[in-house]
Amino acid sequence: MSAHTDSNNIQHLYEGDQSKLYSGVLAHHSDVDSTESKTQVKKIWKIFWILLAITLAEVVVGMYFSQHLPAAVKAIFFLGLTLLKAGYIVAVFMHLGDEFKNFMVTVLIPLVLFVWFIIAFLADGGFWLRMNSESPARHTIEHVAK
Amino acid sequence: MSQTTVVTAAKEPSLWAGGRSPYNVSYGKMMIWFFLLSDALTFGAFLISYGTTRFFSAVWPDPNQVFKSFPFMGEHNLPLLFVSLMTFILIMSSVTMVLAVHAGHYNDKKNVAKWLLWTIVGGICFLACQAWEWTHLGSECIKAWSSNPSEISHSLWGSFTDMSIPADEFKHFFGDKSQAFVAANHDVALQSTHNFFNYFFTITGFHGGHVTSGVIFNILILVNTVNGVYERRGHYEMVEKIGLYWHFVDLVWVFVFTCFYLL
Repeated sequence: MSAHTDSNNIQHLYEGDQSKLYSGVLAHHSDVDSTESKTQVKKIWKIFWILLAITLAEVVVGMYFSQHLPAAVKAIFFLGLTLLKAGYIVAVFMHLGDEFKNFMVTVLIPLVLFVWFIIAFLADGGFWLRMNSESPARHTIEHVAK
Repeated sequence: MSQTTVVTAAKEPSLWAGGRSPYNVSYGKMMIWFFLLSDALTFGAFLISYGTTRFFSAVWPDPNQVFKSFPFMGEHNLPLLFVSLMTFILIMSSVTMVLAVHAGHYNDKKNVAKWLLWTIVGGICFLACQAWEWTHLGSECIKAWSSNPSEISHSLWGSFTDMSIPADEFKHFFGDKSQAFVAANHDVALQSTHNFFNYFFTITGFHGGHVTSGVIFNILILVNTVNGVYERRGHYEMVEKIGLYWHFVDLVWVFVFTCFYLL
């Protein structure tokens, strides 16, 4: 058992680990105080302030103005800002923006399904509301029930 | 920077020529991305079914009426304030996580441990906030049912299923504009209240479960980091993978926040 704590042994265990090949950890990044490192950290904090500002804007509008806005304007405003926030998180915090374009496309394309998914299901919901409130069948049933 | 990329690309025949990953990512990292993709579809299905239910409901509880409390502030009307705090905590913990990942890129063990610890603190704070909110909303629902002592055992987590519950017990969840409709359509409003709380507890519960497992994963990799496992391995890719999961949980909260509290 004690052999497993030996560093060479652990290195051997991960011989099949491709991470070193592709994550680029061996290729660069040695000095944490380098300019490159500091630029990256600065970028992370910049995105934090952007996310915070967007959230504050959402909260202020949600608290004071959303009752006076038309439903469509409200939905576009909040969903637009939500997607903007999501974009920053995925591109910068999750580093998807730094990956190869091949990989970005592979990850993002299945999400296109959501466009159909959302439109189809919300339309279905709207249809049932209309059926429940306007359909002649409903009045027939109520009539029979009486 | 861009010039270097062009030269490298010209030297190599094609990304798809074989011998290396055309995605330039390791197996583990690619798989965590695909897992997150499938998880996104699950959360998407939850949120879209919430939207569908909302679209076919003639009336819907107003988030500004349901979520207006803040711990230790009693009955003050403070809509959105508490959930803004929760959102802030989660964004903050996302930043500390990405800083841990960054330190990992530089094999900086001390900073990885430091930022992971902050991330864990953030995650626990978020869970504590959620526990308060659940308890608070749970007690609101119990209050709504307490007039009906024989049914009190079924009263937890917003199960408004008994049609004999009077409108007075749930009409405070609706906005001013809906009050007349609620008074005239008792059954429809009761069903909406029930659906609202069902979706709320299901979706925030599923998200909270993700946060909980994220905190556990973070604790595990913190222990590994402190024990020097990644230092011996030569890279901190595990921190990166758990980081992806943690950011995803933050990402889901961004959408939950919009769907439940803002819209």
